[in-house]
Amino acid sequence: MSRLKLRAGAVGMTAALLAGGALAAGLSGAEAVKLRQTNMKALGAASKAFFEQIRSGAPDKGVVKVQADKIEAAAKALPTWFPSGSGPEAGAKTGALPIIWAQPDAFAAAGRRLADQAAKLDAAGDAGDLAAVAAQAPALGAACKGCHDKFRAPEK
Amino acid sequence: MSGEAAPQTILLWDLPTRLVHWLIALLVPFSWWSATHEHLPWHRLSGYTILALLIFRLIWGFVGGGGARFSTFLRGPGAVIAYVRRRGAAFLSHNPLGGWSVAAMLAALTLQVSLGLFSVDEDGLEAGPLSKFVSFDVGRSIARIHHLTFWLLLALIALHLGAVAFYELRGSRLTLPMVTGRAARAAGLAEPRRAPLIAFLLAAAAAAAIAWFIAQGLGLRAGALS
Repeated sequence: MSRLKLRAGAVGMTAALLAGGALAAGLSGAEAVKLRQTNMKALGAASKAFFEQIRSGAPDKGVVKVQADKIEAAAKALPTWFPSGSGPEAGAKTGALPIIWAQPDAFAAAGRRLADQAAKLDAAGDAGDLAAVAAQAPALGAACKGCHDKFRAPEK
Repeated sequence: MSGEAAPQTILLWDLPTRLVHWLIALLVPFSWWSATHEHLPWHRLSGYTILALLIFRLIWGFVGGGGARFSTFLRGPGAVIAYVRRRGAAFLSHNPLGGWSVAAMLAALTLQVSLGLFSVDEDGLEAGPLSKFVSFDVGRSIARIHHLTFWLLLALIALHLGAVAFYELRGSRLTLPMVTGRAARAAGLAEPRRAPLIAFLLAAAAAAAIAWFIAQGLGLRAGALS
């Protein structure tokens, strides 16, 4: 993939994230669910591209940096993807569990943990330190999983 | 053994055929367990091993011992219908119906492993080695099909176990020969020809190499196996 295309992808992602930040202003619950799912899918795609590099055993610095950027930006914005009213009561199919809004402190702590791990990952990526990126990757995965195991319904 | 009398038993399933059978019988439950307990590195390794076993079995179906050869047990629809109408004829290897059930299981296993190679998990954290050739969305869809086709595989395994139980209850020994390799000699059937050791070595080496290459994501670089 060309550098330019990756840049364009990053811009698109940022636009989606900004939209995520604007959620509180005027989106219906169902719309908020859809937007969250779009954002999560983009994060999943960045995550796939990133972990592909790590698993390959010979990661490409450029791809790692771009995907770590995306992951970091998404992780930072992620708590804003869960406005109140975008849970199961929104009327759209969602795996987001009511416990997210019932235990806001625990959810916020999980979000901070993700943001911290993603920031470390991004810093290593920006420094071009592939060994540090690979070392940090499992902690990022654990932060994703830790939150999903508690706050998301199992698929199907 | 007296000089004249033919032995009472024949070597029906050679050692490679039995090993493939029992390793798959162990690895399919292990694959299921490792997936449901989210040990994806183990799940991938189990899948790669099954892939190698399937490739070997495919080759062995052409160059292996007589009992394992597809030409011995895959027959046309006429033979299958004749067998279903009135069983009783003796067959060296699988009967005409059982032969196709084996082919169906091998095909379902191949489909299951192939889909796994392209699968991506919900979070993009875990993925098969060929998922780099598909997008996140396509990889997700393939993973869902991978889950669905497991039920197909389970159905065929249930059918297989049911059929084995059916024949055992009617007095046909099927399980023991798959353990020892030896089966009672049926009247008029010769001992199947044995495959030479070199055929086994070449088939095993080819299967391991092809599975390794696929598990690397169609690359030759070492170190990507996890």
